Amino acid sequence: MTDILWLELVVGLIISFSLLGLLLWAVKGGQFDDGKKQMNGLLFDSTEDLNDAINKEKKIKELKANKEKNNLD
Amino acid sequence: MSNIECTHCNLSFPSEVMINEEPNLHFCCKGCQGVYHLLKDDGLDSFYEKKGKEKLSQPLAVDEDASNFDLESFRQIYIKTTPEGFSSVDLVIEGIHCSACIWLNEKILNDEDGILEANINFSNHKAKIVWDDDIIKLSSIIQRIRAIGYNAYPYKTGVKNSANVNKKRDYFSKLSVAIFASMNIMMIDVAKYTGYLTSMSDDAKFMIHVAEFIFASPVLFYSGIIFFKGAYFGLKNKIINMDFLIAFGAVLTYIYSLYVLYSGNGHSYFDSVAMIITFVLVGKYLEVIGKKNANDTIDTIKSSIPYEATRIKDNEKEIIGVDAIQIGDIIEIKNGQKACVDGKLISEYASFDQSSISGESIDVVKQKGDTIYSSTINTSDVVVYEATSTYANSTFNSIIELLDNSLNTKPKIQDITNELSKNFSLIILLLSIATFTGWYIYNGDFENALVVSISVIVIACPCALALATPIASLIGISWMSQKGVLLKDAKLIEIFNEIDTIVLDKTGTITKAQLEVVNISNKDLTKEQLNILYTLTDSSTHLVSMAIKKYLSSNYDNLEFIKLEDIKQIAGVGIDAKYNNQLIYGGKSQDINSKYTSFEFKIDNRSIVKFDLQDSIKEDALQMVEFFNKQNIDVIICSGDNEEVVKDVANKLGIKNYKANMKPQDKYDFVNELKEQNKKVAMVGDGVNDTLALSKADISISMASGSDISINVSDVVILNNSLKSLINSFYISKRTYKFIKQNLAISLVYNAITIPIAMAGYVVPLFAALSMSLSSLLVVGNSFRIKKDIK
Repeated sequence: MTDILWLELVVGLIISFSLLGLLLWAVKGGQFDDGKKQMNGLLFDSTEDLNDAINKEKKIKELKANKEKNNLD
Repeated sequence: MSNIECTHCNLSFPSEVMINEEPNLHFCCKGCQGVYHLLKDDGLDSFYEKKGKEKLSQPLAVDEDASNFDLESFRQIYIKTTPEGFSSVDLVIEGIHCSACIWLNEKILNDEDGILEANINFSNHKAKIVWDDDIIKLSSIIQRIRAIGYNAYPYKTGVKNSANVNKKRDYFSKLSVAIFASMNIMMIDVAKYTGYLTSMSDDAKFMIHVAEFIFASPVLFYSGIIFFKGAYFGLKNKIINMDFLIAFGAVLTYIYSLYVLYSGNGHSYFDSVAMIITFVLVGKYLEVIGKKNANDTIDTIKSSIPYEATRIKDNEKEIIGVDAIQIGDIIEIKNGQKACVDGKLISEYASFDQSSISGESIDVVKQKGDTIYSSTINTSDVVVYEATSTYANSTFNSIIELLDNSLNTKPKIQDITNELSKNFSLIILLLSIATFTGWYIYNGDFENALVVSISVIVIACPCALALATPIASLIGISWMSQKGVLLKDAKLIEIFNEIDTIVLDKTGTITKAQLEVVNISNKDLTKEQLNILYTLTDSSTHLVSMAIKKYLSSNYDNLEFIKLEDIKQIAGVGIDAKYNNQLIYGGKSQDINSKYTSFEFKIDNRSIVKFDLQDSIKEDALQMVEFFNKQNIDVIICSGDNEEVVKDVANKLGIKNYKANMKPQDKYDFVNELKEQNKKVAMVGDGVNDTLALSKADISISMASGSDISINVSDVVILNNSLKSLINSFYISKRTYKFIKQNLAISLVYNAITIPIAMAGYVVPLFAALSMSLSSLLVVGNSFRIKKDIK
């Protein structure tokens, strides 16, 4: 019984501290600099916004690749 | 006449003035109509779903040429290059009201080819834009923002700005860890305390202690590091500060709990370690946010000054950076532009909106040789003036520098440590050390001595005393918010009780900032004359025209719009028009009575009627003056308006002390002078011109209808703009303060009884913890009595 509890404790700690680490990484990256915007994103973001985010990532990659190519030329 | 809402901005206007379109579209102006169709054509009409019923301001019509944003001089000051070779600029976006505005701006920019990042902060409306200069120019980006009815100004990000951002992130991380760990410990505590009652096995108890130890350790050594640093600097300066006591108390409790974990005897207090650090850290985090907001405010003010000016040299115009302007340079400013430096008017005549300096919303007419102040807006045609200051020495830049200085050096109330609490903590610490030493000498049992000394700390520290002020303040603050007063810091309640002088701005604070007709020279106007005047005043959005129109609507029936021709606005003077070949004029009167604003209506140069207008005093102003007189608080009016007007208002309210013609710097100096006389000053204002004085006062109070800047620098915001709420803020703080003192007395009496018992060794730490909770309940229960006597 106690062994199971110890196992649960260790697993619980690993999971919760991993999530905490993820949160700290996000804070460091500036994702929580604008609390109100985060909150609004949670409440109102739709599929359209998610698609926009993916397209934006693609666009940034393309622009960076082009810039790098131009710089090499 | 019924009002209908504009499809774009949701503002209501009479149906007659709306531009109607099928199917059922109504626009208040061409700007709204243009933006609506632009969004629809670009497939961005979901903006209206996101916006909902939120009202926007009408789209900003900016005629300025955006090509200045591509000039090398601009690039050198504001544009940075990223490591990948992209350009980056920081902007403040004007016209943002809601999350839908943010979404629209980001969406429209992110869809633009060549833009990598367009990120707008919801709280301060600052935007960071990263783009590829080979694909798109900054001028095109700015034009895109302007096309949808917003505007953007650049601002310089300094070292201070990034330091503030990093500090906020650091504190946020520390607070996240502390809250996360404390919440977990609280859950584990449920099992622990239940276990005490149900004979928990030693194995399970050990496991719980291990879990609490794992959670409490990062709180003490990561989140609590700031207290160790504070304690170190305190000791270096030979001061036992609050940080030292918190760090010392937490470390001592942690060490004892480690001993319990190791020995298996007794009760661990890892939960107390986490809680103490978390609670105090919340206050510290709020302080960091406050400082960051203050710096954001400064950036917003700075961005409102133009970064370039048109200089006329050898009959040629050239665009130069504001820093390059020299005394004696001839500067040209167009209609709607701001003067960037002070100077003397060379043009024969001009009118300026000086609200940023004087707070008065009516344009001031200037003649050749008159002084032009930086940051005032030209409301006439193109004017030319000679610079009498450089940008660095200009009036507005001096205001910004003083404000920056004030906001960063103003002794934060958070820093004023409660002397009682400080001394109390030190005494407890000394008593605990004395208890440990005494018991160790007495029976030589280290464990027993440690347990008893810890009991002394636990029974006394920190709940009842720590709660005495915050719980009463919390109840007082929530009561205030119900009465329309927003208090930004709980400890202001204490300062409210020390105030002996209150300085009031006039326009918008004591008066309604709305002109009303007080005298009319001729009431027997013909139907035709009334209709001409009604139509004429309807064609202008000037405060005087609007007041006359309102007067006519409420005093005469069946008014009708008629067709006037050649309507011309003469800035700062009035309106000209033609009707059936007659020359119509409505505007400034030749007889200048400085107490009133006058408006004269003429047909073919023959005076028909004259109106005297005056800003009306708020209904509850007299009651407010009586209240402050009863409280022995000196009331002083401090206004940018002329002597006659200020004197008139002061006389009506029975206020003996008033100051007229006060510019922002004068107001600031006046408040400073009062403080030098050891007065505790509350300043109440609403405009940008009051900002400096607000930043200097012991308590700064602003009306919610005031400028964003004055609200940001204020400690207290009157949400409903009512002077009754100002009275309530003083009344509630006095009552709350009374209860804070009662709570402190309760906790001190409690400690006076329990500490000697604990020192004598009659209390084990568990009962000490329970007893501590009981004292907290007493304090909380007493605090709930604050709201009993609501007036």
